[in-house]
Amino acid sequence: MEVRIEDLVKRFDDVVAVNKVNATFESGKLIALLGPSGCGKSTMLNMLSGIMPVTEGKIYFDDRDVTMLSPDKREVGLVFQNYALYPHMSVLENICFPLKIKRVPKAERIEKAKEYARMVHIDDYLDRLPKELSGGQQQRVAIARALVKRPKLLLLDEPLSNLDAKLRVEMREEIRRIQRESGVTTVFVTHDQEEATSISDYIMLMKLGVKQQFAKTRNLYNDPANLFVADFIGNPTINQLHGIYEKGNFRPDAYENAIPIGRYQIEDGSRVVFASRPESVIVEKKNGKTVMEVEETYVSGKDTLCVLKAGDGRLRAYVDNDSAPQEKDLVSVSFRDRGVFVFNEESGERYYE
Amino acid sequence: MKNKTDRVKSFMQYLTLFIGAAIMFLPFFWMINSSFKTEKELLSFQSFLPKQLLIDNFRQAWEMGDFPRYFGNSVFVTVVCVALTMFVTILAAYGFSKLKFPGRDLIFTVLVSMMMIPYEMLMLTNYETIRHMHLFGKIWSLIVPFTSSIFYTYILRNFFLSVPDSLYQSARIDGASDWQYLWEIMVPMAKPSLVTIALLDAITCWNSFMWTMLMSSGNRNIRTLPFGLTAFTSEAGVHYNLWMAGATIVVIPMIVLFLFCRKSIITGVSRGGLKG
Repeated sequence: MEVRIEDLVKRFDDVVAVNKVNATFESGKLIALLGPSGCGKSTMLNMLSGIMPVTEGKIYFDDRDVTMLSPDKREVGLVFQNYALYPHMSVLENICFPLKIKRVPKAERIEKAKEYARMVHIDDYLDRLPKELSGGQQQRVAIARALVKRPKLLLLDEPLSNLDAKLRVEMREEIRRIQRESGVTTVFVTHDQEEATSISDYIMLMKLGVKQQFAKTRNLYNDPANLFVADFIGNPTINQLHGIYEKGNFRPDAYENAIPIGRYQIEDGSRVVFASRPESVIVEKKNGKTVMEVEETYVSGKDTLCVLKAGDGRLRAYVDNDSAPQEKDLVSVSFRDRGVFVFNEESGERYYE
Repeated sequence: MKNKTDRVKSFMQYLTLFIGAAIMFLPFFWMINSSFKTEKELLSFQSFLPKQLLIDNFRQAWEMGDFPRYFGNSVFVTVVCVALTMFVTILAAYGFSKLKFPGRDLIFTVLVSMMMIPYEMLMLTNYETIRHMHLFGKIWSLIVPFTSSIFYTYILRNFFLSVPDSLYQSARIDGASDWQYLWEIMVPMAKPSLVTIALLDAITCWNSFMWTMLMSSGNRNIRTLPFGLTAFTSEAGVHYNLWMAGATIVVIPMIVLFLFCRKSIITGVSRGGLKG
């Protein structure tokens, strides 16, 4: 089912939690709502589920306007951050509950519940109570309970935040698998960019209630709409140097030499932020071009992360282990075409070539 | 050395407990013991224990004192009272904890502060109310004033408040209405609290005396056991052995109840810090 939101606004007294967000979530896709805490992503989810009334704007499920519909009529499944399993019911009873409310005959609902329990690999624990399960198992039960009524939209609120690091990686792959198998349009909320980028088809990045960018996951990294997006996505974070743009050159505040960066649609003398992904920084033997000193090096797998001193600023660059410089070496730095962006210093808006 | 002081300490503790228990237990023992003796045996102090277990006292008391009727009344009043109290308490506690309406907390505070009013003061107004409802001298007069309890509502409300709202939202998304959520999720979860409340209420109802006396003054057919017993002592003449048999009949159901539900009563009393 396709989900469309139009000019969605949520206000709490004076605080605007979600500000005029528009988006269309394609049917059958896995969409991540990403952002730092307080960005309104959970509020968005709660409005989609119907738990929270909408202040302004519309929500459509396919062509049906569901803005004023109560949660029980929306045909959504929701997995809460704390899973919200019914503590007095066994795993099987928990999964059966939505069907019981729908008055599905007992034999049929048990059969269906078992089917979904198998899908989330929890079928060995049907008689247990929630408190007798680990966090990962509880989450599987919560997902099965959300899916068993065949919702048109599955919502997950920070589904992995209560799990330990190892389980988190495992469960996010599980969520991906379950979403593929069931084919249900899924929206999940997370503050962890790695979690979002690793499993989602699309990401909506939000900040202070405002949509920053909604795009295919890959594009968010390769083609950020503004400085916030560029900074939020990517680990290690994108390099940022503040300075002035002048005739195809960038003059950093913290560094004496100009760096040639090519032609952009910018007035000469404008203040800009020059941002570069660590893998887009080319480090070569000193050859007279932009020279910087290597401050520190970290070996990580087949690459070495070099921290370069650019005056007061720092640049991080990935270099192949074989050609990695030593600390204190002087090297020449240039940039690839990809993964290099120029932003307006004040607004964070991106400039294009 | 430490071992020795520990042992003395624990001995003292047990001794204290033993004395306390003996003081509590002795009247019950005396009552039951006496109920098996003949009148002569009881008054002559020849032996501490009865020579034979005389069931005849119970038969006599049972027949003489109209106890079958009292017993029936007691059971009826207790069962109906507890059932209605539970129903009202559950709804009220849910309303005061999970539903949002203007003045909710203010109303609840007022209700709670009303717990300060001594029961004896309420008896007059209750009496008037019952009279105006034309229930005076009818068995419902023993039930109607006790179908709700602020105290139990307070206990249950506290429990309901501790249930996270995400369960409510989850149930709503699972398609449940407020009503279904209350009875399918909240009530089963609150079972331990509810059992405690039911037991405490059952004991209170069973032992209710003052009000029963007042209401049954116009109709002896609605007497319940505790007042029936008092009436029996004056109506049957001075037969201590029969009195004791009557008293035993009155307390036995509660003792049985206690033996079966000891755990829930104790956890309830210790958790809520409430007294029976």
